[in-house]
Amino acid sequence: MLGFLEKVADYTKEAVSAAKYLVDGLGVTFDHMRRRPVTVQYPYEKLIPSERYRGRIHYEFDKCIACEVCVRVCPINLPVVDWVMNKETKKKELRNYSIDFGACIFCGNCVEYCPTNCLSMTEEYELAAFDRHSLNYDNVALGRLPTSVTSDPSVRPLRELAYLPEGIMDPHELPTNLKRTGKLPSEIIKELQTEKSKKENNNNSSDMVPNQSNSTN
Amino acid sequence: MNSGIDLEMSFTQGVQNLGLSHELAHLLWIPLPMLLVLVSAVIGVLVTVWLERKISAAAQQRIGPEYAGALGILQPMADGLKLLVKEDIIPAKADSVLFTVGPILVLVPVILSWLIVPFGQNLLISNVGIGIFLWIALSSIQPIGLLMSGYSSNNKYSLLGGLRAAAQSISYEIPLALAVLAIVMMSNSLSTVDIVEQQNTAGFLSWNIWRQPVGFIIFWICALAECERLPFDLPEAEEELVAGYQTEYAGMKFALFYLAGYINLVLSALLVSVLYLGGWGFPISIDWFSSLIGLSIDNPLVQIIAASLGIVMTILKAYLLVFLAILLRWTTPRVRIDQLLDLGWKFLLPISLVNLLVTASLKLAFPMTFGG
Amino acid sequence: MNIAYSTELICFLILSSVIVSGSLAVVLLENIVYSAFLLGGVFMAVAGLYLLLNASFVAAAQILVYVGAVNVLILFAIMLVNKKEKLKPIDGLKTRKLISGGVCGGLLILLLRVSITTDWNIPGPTSIGEEATERIGEHLFTDYLLPFELASILLLMAMIGAIVLARRDVSITNDNINDLTNQKSLSDKKIRLLSENSLK
Repeated sequence: MLGFLEKVADYTKEAVSAAKYLVDGLGVTFDHMRRRPVTVQYPYEKLIPSERYRGRIHYEFDKCIACEVCVRVCPINLPVVDWVMNKETKKKELRNYSIDFGACIFCGNCVEYCPTNCLSMTEEYELAAFDRHSLNYDNVALGRLPTSVTSDPSVRPLRELAYLPEGIMDPHELPTNLKRTGKLPSEIIKELQTEKSKKENNNNSSDMVPNQSNSTN
Repeated sequence: MNSGIDLEMSFTQGVQNLGLSHELAHLLWIPLPMLLVLVSAVIGVLVTVWLERKISAAAQQRIGPEYAGALGILQPMADGLKLLVKEDIIPAKADSVLFTVGPILVLVPVILSWLIVPFGQNLLISNVGIGIFLWIALSSIQPIGLLMSGYSSNNKYSLLGGLRAAAQSISYEIPLALAVLAIVMMSNSLSTVDIVEQQNTAGFLSWNIWRQPVGFIIFWICALAECERLPFDLPEAEEELVAGYQTEYAGMKFALFYLAGYINLVLSALLVSVLYLGGWGFPISIDWFSSLIGLSIDNPLVQIIAASLGIVMTILKAYLLVFLAILLRWTTPRVRIDQLLDLGWKFLLPISLVNLLVTASLKLAFPMTFGG
Repeated sequence: MNIAYSTELICFLILSSVIVSGSLAVVLLENIVYSAFLLGGVFMAVAGLYLLLNASFVAAAQILVYVGAVNVLILFAIMLVNKKEKLKPIDGLKTRKLISGGVCGGLLILLLRVSITTDWNIPGPTSIGEEATERIGEHLFTDYLLPFELASILLLMAMIGAIVLARRDVSITNDNINDLTNQKSLSDKKIRLLSENSLK
């Protein structure tokens, strides 16, 4: 009998705690209702892509030497480099170059390895098309520069979460001059340089003692 | 007790004055409240769909529908119109007769149940004696429609969804009926009008929720399960069953399911407000209020104000519950089928039986507060 | 003939034709699923007849019990089994059909004779309409208490039987019956039994 009563008591306790958690959860949901929407009204507002955004690849035909490094480093050998050997000059003559963005995974290997820097990543990500064959960009299409979000007059550019000032979650109605949290890459480089020069000065003062560990700096 | 406004009487008398027989006048009257309630049910559904979309959006820090009308208020209309003009597909190997009858059989009992929802003393289609029992009986037809559409779709997900829906609605009907029975025991009547009147003796203090808190919770859980709302939406759990019994449906037939679901939600909320929250009753007693102004309760102005206030109160209470249901939807995770049946048979059923027993003994012990 | 009477008559004719044709279809249709759904339709039509007789409580109970519970259970059973297998040809099917048809026809003739010869103009008890619910409750707890309780005992037995059938996998023998109180040792025993079985 006592065991049964204990069981009933345990059961009741469990039910009560479940109800408590349920009410807690309802409180969380209710609290979310009064918060401002975090959504971006896409065609009218757009987030500014980050500096290192890997969007559609830009290609400069004139810089290309048809070395096919991009093809070799590509995970699926995607770029098509159409060239002929000019027998007279004994040089490659580039005719066409194309990348199919329906298959590209935007890993950026080609951009990384291109010896002449003729490939680069843009911030363009609006690649929707009615026909997947139209995603196969030739060298003319690849040479076009995308419209920047910040320069498009019909779009309201918004900062991404990582580019917002400290403690602010909402990119709407933000003064433009507020700096983002953390340091900019240029600032970090500057800081490192001043630090390095300081250390070098210190080392110069104690130049008499040869120190191996300094070379690692 | 005052009888309130009797629209039927005045209508039939007005028509009889035009030279028609009493019977014909009555016949003319019958479709009017039905049409009115049907229209208001559909409008209620539109509002609920809009609320669902907007509140869901707010709970997820989105904006929700925005461009269809002011604040997206026309979005449900657009949805309905889209479903209306969509192609009506019957799968090639489906059983076309059962496939068509299924959604109708789901919708019709739900709409019929509006027969007993009172918005005021005389503001309901029919004050039938069996009242709330009619609703329980009618809602037991629904699983047949669900099984029918699940079976006839010739799709394993549909069949599983249909079976789940039927199992769910059978097992939650029992605690639901027992919770209602406790209320009926206190008010000595099955009629919804009597149940509300019994609660409106002393403002909000006499509402049934204070006397039946456990019954209220049981009823609300079971009503959510009957409406297949989250956390009990596993007949159409999209992660496992695509869309359950609705998988193969498109166009108007799907719209019937959609409509049935939301009408059922509004109906359940209305019935909770009728059974537990004093129906059309104002939190403060109207009699006391009218005596405060110094007007008699039989004054036509007071009557009209009281009637419209009653409608507003009923709808307000119901929509507060709809709001709670939407909030619950985004708070609770979906239960598994075994947890669902466990909850129904091992938790709600014993508790509702105990609730009934306690209510009966309290009624014997304190006949004054628990209905003599 | 006034409107109320003619409406009642039309409703009665529609409902009874639905009942007759529906029940014929239940018996004669090859597809068992159709039969089950039509059975639900017949039950609903019967509930409609009760409504016409001013017995709304009985009508609602009819829908709740027969449509909501019995018919759904039948459908459940059909859909969970739902095996599409060819029925074995029974020898002498024609004569069997003829015999059962003859029996049914005889029953029909008997009933028709009774319905024609009986004088139906017996003044029955007056309809009490809305008070029927109370009256039914009173009767159930006074003069019909014994059948009522017997029915509930029958249902309880059926329920226990169903539970026993459903729990057949837990085999209880004499030697482990003492362990029943301890759930863990029971499950251990089950596992051991299972492993023994699999070893065999």
